Amino acid sequence: MPTVLRQHAEDQYAEELAALAASDSRQRPPNWRLSPWAVTTYILGGTLDNGVTISPKYVGSRRLMEVAVSTLATDRALLLLGVPGTAKTWVAEHLAAAIAGDSTLLVQGTAGTSEESVRYGWNYARLLAEGPSMQALVPSPIMRAMEHGKIGRVEELTRVPSEVQDSLITILSEKTLPIPELNSEVQATRGFNIIATANDRDRGVNELSGALKRRFNTVVLPLPATMEAEVEIVQRRSAEIGRALEIPAEPPALEEIRRIVTIFRELRNGVTADGKTRIKSPGSTLSTAEAISVVNNGIALAAHFGDGKLRATDIASGLLGAVVKDPVQDQIVWKEYLETVVKERDGWKDLYRACRELS
Amino acid sequence: MQTRLFGIRHHGPGSARSLLRELEKLNPDVILVEGPPDAEEILPMVAHADLQPPVALLLYVPDEPKRSAFYPFAHFSPEWQTLKFGVERGIPVRFMDLPQCYQLGWGEGRSEKSEESLKSLRSEEDVSDEEDSEDEAAALPTRRDPLEWAAEAAGFTDSERFWEHMVELRSDHDSEDGGGIFAAIQELMTAMRSEIPASERFLSEQEEQREMQREAWMRQTIRAAQKEGFERIAVVCGAWHVPALAELGPAKRDADLLKGMAKLKVVATWAPWTYDRLAMHSGYGAGIESPGYYEQLWAYPESVAAHWIGSCARLLREEDLDASPASLIETVRLAETLASMRGMSVPGLTELTDAIRAVLCFGNETHLALIARKLVIGEVMGRVPDDAPMPPLQRDLQQEAKRLRLAQEAMEKSLDLDLRKPNDLDRSRLLHRLALMGVDWGHRDEYSNAKTSTFHERWKLQWRPELVVNVIEACMWGSTVLGAATARAIELTDAAKELPALTALVERTLLADLPGAINLMMARLESLAGVTSDVAHLMRALPPLASIVRYGNVRGTNTTVVEHVVDGLVARICVGLPAACSALNDIAAAEMFRSLQSVNEAIHLLRREVHVGMWKDTLEHLARQTGVNGLVAGRCCRLLLDQQVWSSEDAGKRMSYALSRAATPLDAAAWVEGFLKGSGLMLLHSDALWQIIDSWVSGLDADSFTLLLPMVRRTFSTFPSGERRQMGERAKQAGGSVRGRAIETDVDASRASLVLPTLALLLGVAPVVAGSGT
Repeated sequence: MPTVLRQHAEDQYAEELAALAASDSRQRPPNWRLSPWAVTTYILGGTLDNGVTISPKYVGSRRLMEVAVSTLATDRALLLLGVPGTAKTWVAEHLAAAIAGDSTLLVQGTAGTSEESVRYGWNYARLLAEGPSMQALVPSPIMRAMEHGKIGRVEELTRVPSEVQDSLITILSEKTLPIPELNSEVQATRGFNIIATANDRDRGVNELSGALKRRFNTVVLPLPATMEAEVEIVQRRSAEIGRALEIPAEPPALEEIRRIVTIFRELRNGVTADGKTRIKSPGSTLSTAEAISVVNNGIALAAHFGDGKLRATDIASGLLGAVVKDPVQDQIVWKEYLETVVKERDGWKDLYRACRELS
Repeated sequence: MQTRLFGIRHHGPGSARSLLRELEKLNPDVILVEGPPDAEEILPMVAHADLQPPVALLLYVPDEPKRSAFYPFAHFSPEWQTLKFGVERGIPVRFMDLPQCYQLGWGEGRSEKSEESLKSLRSEEDVSDEEDSEDEAAALPTRRDPLEWAAEAAGFTDSERFWEHMVELRSDHDSEDGGGIFAAIQELMTAMRSEIPASERFLSEQEEQREMQREAWMRQTIRAAQKEGFERIAVVCGAWHVPALAELGPAKRDADLLKGMAKLKVVATWAPWTYDRLAMHSGYGAGIESPGYYEQLWAYPESVAAHWIGSCARLLREEDLDASPASLIETVRLAETLASMRGMSVPGLTELTDAIRAVLCFGNETHLALIARKLVIGEVMGRVPDDAPMPPLQRDLQQEAKRLRLAQEAMEKSLDLDLRKPNDLDRSRLLHRLALMGVDWGHRDEYSNAKTSTFHERWKLQWRPELVVNVIEACMWGSTVLGAATARAIELTDAAKELPALTALVERTLLADLPGAINLMMARLESLAGVTSDVAHLMRALPPLASIVRYGNVRGTNTTVVEHVVDGLVARICVGLPAACSALNDIAAAEMFRSLQSVNEAIHLLRREVHVGMWKDTLEHLARQTGVNGLVAGRCCRLLLDQQVWSSEDAGKRMSYALSRAATPLDAAAWVEGFLKGSGLMLLHSDALWQIIDSWVSGLDADSFTLLLPMVRRTFSTFPSGERRQMGERAKQAGGSVRGRAIETDVDASRASLVLPTLALLLGVAPVVAGSGT
């Protein structure tokens, strides 16, 4: 058993990747570990000819994933857009793992991301001692990806300041990174590409310039379309995480997950599941990812403080924390929801009581 | 002798291309096409330069145009290309489907239920009335497209995709063995027809029977052609029918099947069609999802992807959206990669759309919707030569338009009608009738501020080509404009469930002068008014009817029937109003305020003693009733004052009563608002009204005044500031009237009198003695 808390995708699913590579006879783009078809299968799951089952990493539209993989195969950069918690990062990581066998070449976009972290920096001790040289250069993950023909990832691209964003333009259009200090450059090896993720909701923060936008193919990842799809995602992911953390609890009952997903969907859409009543929506995003963490939180509570079975009392605090992000406004929304929807619903009495005790 | 069968898909460009090539090779001496033999006589028109697809063959029963069938064709329809091929080369072309004179008769003999069975009877090509079919499509169990089985087996998501890739997008249409596709189609269909049980294929036994009859007729046509000694017979039909035509079998069985079918008289004509109607979502059975795309596929078979993406880019640029040539290249590349990933040789519409979304639209669905509407479907309309036979309604309309000298022009132009002139009156009637049928040639120009007298009517006219389709659709209601409009009005009458809708309809019907519909409508109006418990509805119904009674004479309509209905309405309103006015909230009260006002106007428009008497009683009752919202009660009081039922003292008493301390401030404010709303000028010029308000305000003690001031202010603040200022000035003059009082002066009389003699001289009057006058 590995000791790291969270394994990289290429390590966690090493067996699946190996099996896919073994049975994959289709043509591979230069420097790709798998063919585009096999990459899609890795993401969406399926059964191989030799009987190996590939677990689905992304539950959703096949067409979207095909567009994403094809984009990378045409050496265009891929921009994954979507509201928080729609598995953008998750998809990006697995795409990088499947295509390049390495998902670690990552630049995390923040308001403080500087040009050095996208291009290159300097080891100043060496710079002073030896003068400018390739050895004094500290390459960014993107530069390393270019050198080795791998997939570089930029997370939260829209949070990065505009001028730093635009330093990607040369890399994407010329496939080269000039180093004027050394009168040299790094040219991308075949197989290099970039996957960026960005958030729909904070598009306004640092919107991509037209020039940069044109260099990306955009794939919008939607929220799960149906209740069933969302329940499946929550169930699958919480079971995986539970296994990884070795929580000594039973896997959560489908019933509890269904309740949580129902609450999330209702509050997110502002309408009850039967479509009859309008309710207020809180300011929080209430993504699928948060639903997963509510379940996990509940399982942990149940395992360590409860009877090992996920019950209403275990999920109540997680729910409260996920919904109420603004202590004043969201609190009102949540209370209204409790009193008008949860209280009335058949078989939800336990949840209502548990939530009431907390608030 | 050789008989070749070509199974095609209606409107498939790839099929059309393969077919043409095969026809060239075969050089047939007769061509049989799946189509209505009733329309053979107008076939030569295919070669007419003015007949531009999309067009449709329209077949209808002249006495009952509701029974009709459309056979639409686009440029890329294999049938259209076959017809052109035959007509241009002088090869005899025959239609071989079961004639519509039999098909349109199906469902007869059960006239009550015929609506229902007519729907299920609808074969692949015919559609009798599209509007209804959309509503009922959900209710009817749908037959599964047999191709879906094959598509599923081949790993496609739907049959459209399957067919597109297997047949339409093939690049070997022009190659030597391209004809192999027809053999393959025949094989596929044979397999499906034998594998899929009849219960899966048909909704009812009736339907199965009908398909058997159609195929029997096709076989009989082929036999006849063979008997006539044609050497090379080409048969073009829907792929589905091919297996049934491959083996002719004994003629006797087919003859038996076709025995004893009722025959109707059927007329055929060409009608212009649009791509929009060709597309599936307009409820047309054998429609296609993407006529606009198929047109490009037909025009540029080699490089459809580039052309398609190019036209998408042009469209985006027209809408001021970014679409650079570099992005276009990337879009084509992505589409091609996607296609190869999905195991296809050429990108289809799905791949192109996915690529356009990712590259050109930046994942934005709204841009994509624009492309879907303008390009995938396409805004194209066909043309029909002027000498084509026309449905009777259209003929009638053209004759009428000619008689009334109304030109069908694409430019919008205004028309000012003087209804006192017979010609203008007829024009107005024609336009109103067309509007009733949904043919919106003109719309009323309500906002023009020119002559507003009752005998003037202003229109804006614009003839859009798609109105022809509306006219043809209106054929189902009748064969003359008058007849169709009457039938439509009656249909709408039956459908009207609520009183206001019905009265609006009555108004339109009277404008259109449809005597055949009006009696029925009045009967319906009376029965509806009888059961309507909602007084608000009754009140809304009254004003339009009243104006008909009052002003109907200009149009020469007989209004006695309407008068009877109006009598009933007034009586019902007067009885129901007191109950309807109790316990109204503010919103409902505002609504009631307006209704009260318009009913009051209507009653005074009618000037009937009985009505006015009843109305006064009702108003008095309301004004005294407790629990009536202040807005309504105030207005009642005011109306009574205006009609001099109540004297100023009565009204004044009522006012101080309503505004006394016992009343809640909100009610009091509402009362004042109801009493005075919208009558700032009235207040200035009517002494009686002024006196009431003035004496009430002056009679208040200081405390009450402070208490009431905000509420009164609320009403007064709605008056324009000019009026308010004048009111203030008037109040300043201690209750006098504005007119009678001179402007206050501080003139030195002795000095002013100095000018008087000169003034007198100028005016030519006797000089006044200084100091004796002002």
